[in-house]
Amino acid sequence: MKLKALIAAALLPVSAHAAHYELLNVSYDPTRELYTEFNQAFAAHLKATTGDTVTIQQSHGGAGKQARAVIDGLAADVVTLALAYDIDAIAERTGKIPPDWQSRLPHNSAPYTSTIVFLVRKGNPKNIQDWDDLVKPGIGIITPNPKTSGGARWNYLAAYAYALRHNDDDDAKAKAFVGKLLANVPVLDTGARGATTTFVQRGIGDVLLAWENEAFLAINELGPDKFEIVVPSLSILAEPPVTVVDGNAKRKKTTAVAKAYLDYLYSAEGQRLAAKHYYRPVKPEHADPADLARFPELELITVDSVFGGWQKAQKTHFADGGVFDQIYQP
Amino acid sequence: MRPFAFVSAVLVTALGFPVAAQPAETAPTLEQLDQQLRILERKLELAAEAATAESATRPQVSADRSGLRITAGSTEFRLRGLLQLDGRWFTGEDGAQLPDSFVFRRVRPTFQGTLGKGIGFRFTPELAGDTTTLIDAYLDVAVTESVTLRAGKVKGPVGLERLQSATDLAFVERGLPTELAPNREVGVQAQGGQRLQWVLGIYNGTADGSNGPASDVDNRKEVAARLFYQPSPHIGFGIAGSTGSKRGDTQLPRYRSPGQNRITSYVAGATFDGRHTRISPQAYAYRGPVGLLAEYILSEQALSIGGSADTLTHSAWQVVGRYVLTGEQASFATLVPARDYGVGKPGWGGWELVARVGQLTLDDDADALGYVAATEEQSLDNVGIGVNWYLDRNVRFAANYDVTRFKSFSGPDRPDEHALFTRLQLAF
Repeated sequence: MKLKALIAAALLPVSAHAAHYELLNVSYDPTRELYTEFNQAFAAHLKATTGDTVTIQQSHGGAGKQARAVIDGLAADVVTLALAYDIDAIAERTGKIPPDWQSRLPHNSAPYTSTIVFLVRKGNPKNIQDWDDLVKPGIGIITPNPKTSGGARWNYLAAYAYALRHNDDDDAKAKAFVGKLLANVPVLDTGARGATTTFVQRGIGDVLLAWENEAFLAINELGPDKFEIVVPSLSILAEPPVTVVDGNAKRKKTTAVAKAYLDYLYSAEGQRLAAKHYYRPVKPEHADPADLARFPELELITVDSVFGGWQKAQKTHFADGGVFDQIYQP
Repeated sequence: MRPFAFVSAVLVTALGFPVAAQPAETAPTLEQLDQQLRILERKLELAAEAATAESATRPQVSADRSGLRITAGSTEFRLRGLLQLDGRWFTGEDGAQLPDSFVFRRVRPTFQGTLGKGIGFRFTPELAGDTTTLIDAYLDVAVTESVTLRAGKVKGPVGLERLQSATDLAFVERGLPTELAPNREVGVQAQGGQRLQWVLGIYNGTADGSNGPASDVDNRKEVAARLFYQPSPHIGFGIAGSTGSKRGDTQLPRYRSPGQNRITSYVAGATFDGRHTRISPQAYAYRGPVGLLAEYILSEQALSIGGSADTLTHSAWQVVGRYVLTGEQASFATLVPARDYGVGKPGWGGWELVARVGQLTLDDDADALGYVAATEEQSLDNVGIGVNWYLDRNVRFAANYDVTRFKSFSGPDRPDEHALFTRLQLAF
């Protein structure tokens, strides 16, 4: 009896101080399924380890639009966006995130990576094998608008990097190559999920430039008899980063639970779930080997190595009057 | 088959001969036409989505029974209004009372709104008098999620019935405790809380039952606070008070009856001379169609006259009951009829009976110390009954009958006041 009383007394403070939290995770388009399952796992983990409960709201859209919403006051506790530049923009414009945010978590605050692949219709009727094939006349390419979508910026830079590689780093030729590619884009959606809808649901175009996970998801949901993935000879290492929006979390008194939420992305369970939802985990040892086997081998360049980092890439290519504005004729 | 794809197939089939007649390198294939139609359809879909998203940020104008409203995201501007036309009829024998009359009691347009999520404002002028005055003018700034800073001309946070909106009063005129509470104050207050509501402010300070002047006349300030616990939406109790210092004779109050007749004033030469403290326990409870509001207030004011300094203590209390005959929920706020009254319609609006009893007692040494004339009234006992007819949420007719008995300091008592007040009110 004494032992039972002792255990009860020891447990009492935990239950007496159990708190309820509400978090808002503002993310980009294709992470819906990952965070739907991850949120449940984290809530269960938090409950088991602290007794606290948490309700996590998700918001998804084009990464640029999402960053703008946070800048305009959307009270995100955490942001899990497609690229570091958008989080930098939040940090600069609001002061709610410190400038060194990317060094606060391992792997540049990117708990998983991804890349860009091609999703084509079953049988690959236009015989699309690599970036070269995308600039041929009559090819319909579906990709979102780089002005609003982080995924679209990865698509654009991957194509640009391929063109530089195959034209002796001749910038003019690379511009011409990407210009021809964009001329084959009939519809510019605002986000990656919208582009997938355009290609998959609306039946438009011959190839979707897609996040790897988005391509796998489309095949999974609609069947391998309708689409197939084409892996180009070269693509880009996409590192979607995450961080706590300190200014919002402090005001909402959710800083600790928001940090725990992001830390959990690096846990064995977080990494397993990332791989399950077709994101490449930074700690593959925690993933199911069967999930890892689905990721094709390909050469991945980085934004830092080819474009000098996101700040420079953004300014050169996607700022108003930048290369994209010069070469894209709607 | 999708509608556009179907249409394209029909069109191409119908036009098959002319298309086939064109040169092979320029003739669009059925597949190309299908793609073009799908692209057009998708572009229209995206344009519609963009238009919907854009409309969320475009100003929306709406006009309903709550007034005119213009909203754009978290910014909102509202125009509201209040008109009260009263009839005042006296049936007693007091020759000094006000004449029977119709009077515009309140004519108040209100312009209020929010600028973004953290800033609000309100301007309310009074157009009912011979001169235009400012009733409310304040700015709200949200300091945290739960604390707001309000600066400007605001209701002093002491009297419970004073804090009740003029549109929601049980009687045409507020009861006797309001004679000792500040009306409007000019200053800054912090406020917050939901169940446990609190206000703490610093103001220029104002005399009992009076509006604060536009600027401080005596270079003295007053601090006021209120703590009010509301365990459920229709039950609340708390305590409020103020303390500060006053000097001079420009703001000396006069005390009025429920019929708005002047009853007692300070004599010439009397002057504020030091601390003024008020304290007011207060509560209300509403259950179904029945409700009670009760408040007590004590006002202790330092004065001087002819080189002599004294402190006078006045007090007042009242209990106000209301019973909604038509069964709607009684509340501190206005009654919203379940079925509006309208010609040819079955509903009779909302009907409510009200009753109150109250007392105002001025310091019984006030005449002996020379601050008031001995013939002035030292206490008032008031009983009132009334009926309110809410035709709908905007229009209300009220009729009250108040009987007030006076007790003089040492002269003959003033005749009882019998006041029949009526009110036609439009509020939106």
